[in-house]
Amino acid sequence: MKKHIKYFLSLLVFASLVSCKPKYEAPQTSKGEIDPSRFVMIGGGHVAGYMNDGLTYDGQLNSLANIIAGQLQQVGGGDFNQPFVNQNSVGISLNGLASLKLGYKTDCEGVSSLSPVRLASSGDVNIWNDQLYNSTLPFGNFGIPDFKLANINSSSWTSSNPFYSRMASAANATVKNEILASNPSFFSIFLGVDEVLEYAKSGGTINNLPSSIDFENQYADFISSLVQNGAKGAVANIPDVTKMPFFTTIPWNGLTLDEANAQTLNNIYGQIGFSFELGSNPFMVTDSSANMFGMRQILNGEKLLLSLPLDSVKCNQMGVLFPFRDEFYLDLNEINYLSSRIESYNNSIRSIAAQYNLAVVDAEKFISTLNDGFTYNGVTMSAKFVSGGAYSLDGIYFNPKGNALFANEFLKAINKKYNARIPLVDAGKFNSTFFP
Amino acid sequence: MKQVYFLILFLALSFSFFSQGFQVNFQGQKQQGMGCSGTALFQDGASLFFNPGSTAFAKESSINIATTPIFANVLYVDSTTGQGYRTENPVGTPFSAYGLFNLKKTPSIKLGLAVYTPFGSTVQWEKNWIGRFALTRLELKAIFIQPTISYRINDKIGIGAGFVLSTGNVNLQKDIPVQDSLGNYGHAELAGKALGFGYNVGIHYDVTEKLSIGITYRSKVQMNLNDGKATFTVPTSLDSNFPDGKFTGGLPLPQVTTLGFAFKANEKLTFVLDINHVGWKAYDTLAFDYTNNTTSLLDTKSPRNYKNIFAFRGGVSYDLIKNLEVRAGGGFGFTPVQNGYVTPETPDANRAYATFGLGYFFGKHFSMDASLYYTHLKRTDKNLETNLNGTFTTNAIAPGIAFVYKF
Repeated sequence: MKKHIKYFLSLLVFASLVSCKPKYEAPQTSKGEIDPSRFVMIGGGHVAGYMNDGLTYDGQLNSLANIIAGQLQQVGGGDFNQPFVNQNSVGISLNGLASLKLGYKTDCEGVSSLSPVRLASSGDVNIWNDQLYNSTLPFGNFGIPDFKLANINSSSWTSSNPFYSRMASAANATVKNEILASNPSFFSIFLGVDEVLEYAKSGGTINNLPSSIDFENQYADFISSLVQNGAKGAVANIPDVTKMPFFTTIPWNGLTLDEANAQTLNNIYGQIGFSFELGSNPFMVTDSSANMFGMRQILNGEKLLLSLPLDSVKCNQMGVLFPFRDEFYLDLNEINYLSSRIESYNNSIRSIAAQYNLAVVDAEKFISTLNDGFTYNGVTMSAKFVSGGAYSLDGIYFNPKGNALFANEFLKAINKKYNARIPLVDAGKFNSTFFP
Repeated sequence: MKQVYFLILFLALSFSFFSQGFQVNFQGQKQQGMGCSGTALFQDGASLFFNPGSTAFAKESSINIATTPIFANVLYVDSTTGQGYRTENPVGTPFSAYGLFNLKKTPSIKLGLAVYTPFGSTVQWEKNWIGRFALTRLELKAIFIQPTISYRINDKIGIGAGFVLSTGNVNLQKDIPVQDSLGNYGHAELAGKALGFGYNVGIHYDVTEKLSIGITYRSKVQMNLNDGKATFTVPTSLDSNFPDGKFTGGLPLPQVTTLGFAFKANEKLTFVLDINHVGWKAYDTLAFDYTNNTTSLLDTKSPRNYKNIFAFRGGVSYDLIKNLEVRAGGGFGFTPVQNGYVTPETPDANRAYATFGLGYFFGKHFSMDASLYYTHLKRTDKNLETNLNGTFTTNAIAPGIAFVYKF
């Protein structure tokens, strides 16, 4: 009897030992037709790791460029250097402010609620005084906040862009020469975004948008110099930035009125032809062409900007008795103008990419898909402010998870164009906004 | 002997499995040795599960206790990243206990009590795996308690019926994609007790001395979870979005119709074949209805869209020497899980399996049976709900043992 039990027990032990874990075999990777040994990425804040309206160490670690470079390293990519800011820095924004986190803010009515708040009362200006150039460790990340194509050959850009001056080799160094100096073997470009963002974020009041022909010439000129030594690359087109949360969070008809307030407004505005009712109503905006009073109700499809002073809206009748100024909204004409500009730039990018046989990343489609929402490994991602999970607290730049998802679009385009098998990144491992 | 009892007690503390869908077919060691089949062959108390009609032909009373530890390992390889993730499943231990009793005054009637675990699984995925927002852990346990009566109509035909009372536990966990100030993800745990009822009926017919047929129908058992507890761990600022509270849900355990054949080729050699039709179509949605809904916490309805399937099982037993019987068998089952619906909770696929078994009689009253089951599954799919896109590979080995006492 005992013997039998021993047999059975040893069988049990044997079974648990061989309990046959399926064998993991890493899928084959391949660099395909590219040479990833010296990779550079060029673009604006999205590429730099700018997020939560600031450049921080954590943002840079999780930059679009760094994530792509990390995957390229799995198929032979070399070291990837970034102009890191100090690890514990509160960061600095384009306007010199500290970067944002999600915290509690008490509004004008004394109500405390979750809101983006600055990490400190001012940004870390030491960042702008850095001199990080090192000829033996050339930068791979040429993502520079507010990088416009027009800056590319400028010998005075260091004086107007402190994010560039901290990484430039000399005060008069052009960024194009800086990029070419290290002889990139593979490049990735996300340019043209800062041009359209400047226009859109200003509510159409600042218009430095290049003409189609200028954009095409500058873009083609840059690409032709990048490929002259045989480098291959991937270029992203320009998304419709008005689909970003900065432009979609405040509803055009977010003016909620009770019966009495609606009546009051009707008494005031009724004479010039605007009526209000119980419930949702359009905000008032200034528009010099609307009528002799230069104001009107905002239309469905027009975009209110997240730069609006929300306390003034809540407590001081802004958007009601005091219409929103032009810099706080994009009207239909401006939206159409911007979209036709983006379309023409994108036509240029596509034809230049075809001419030089480059991979094209459809950033426009990615932003649009995010706007519609999609599920990634069980997680619903969308362009909703904060809760959407992909955009950082500035409503324009991605958080690490958004960057990882966007990086996968680059990798897919590269894999397809150059018959490579670069593994995609698990975006689920990257952080989203932290809640207190 | 003491060691053995201790072992059984220990194993009986937890029990579980995965299988075709989440069905277990480990209800009798003799049947397991012969490919998990034996609907048309009376063996011992375990036939109360396989065919309550066949137990009408029992010559003695018997008590039968068995367990089958299951060592199952799943590997998931994500198609997009190439990364691999494993389950860290605890050893599953489905058990069964059968008591079959002759009535002295009315020998044509037998009474039986069967307690077994026909469904259940514990799937525990490794920490931080890529599908953590779909599932981190699922514990599913169901105990069926089946009092049974069998009646021998004549020398050839027996019928039987059992009432099934099913109690169970469900515990489902997953991570919530919101991070606290330290970056930790939120976590959801849905737990509750489920209760269901059903029945198990069968008929046994000896067509000739050598050939018999069995037909059984085990009804669907709807396991209803009416008083579940949902617990959410989320950042403080989101507490009001994810209120802890009650939820209701349900899980159908499908009906199984079986046609079985047994053929006694000679005194030593017996063949069996079972054909199962399993009504998995009943599992079309996994729904959770929370008592406290918020904008972040909505009721969920996850499509499962299982389909009805057939499974074929067969085996052979041979009296090798005196008191020693050897068995072998195997089977093939189609998966009820359609493309686009494979989930980390049941990474199912069409499956083939092989089994072996031994039976040894220690004199008149006491016998022991042992069995060994092995299967290997592989399924590549992109789930339509979660977009998880990858390949699940499962290896499972299940050695089982039973003690039978006849009197």
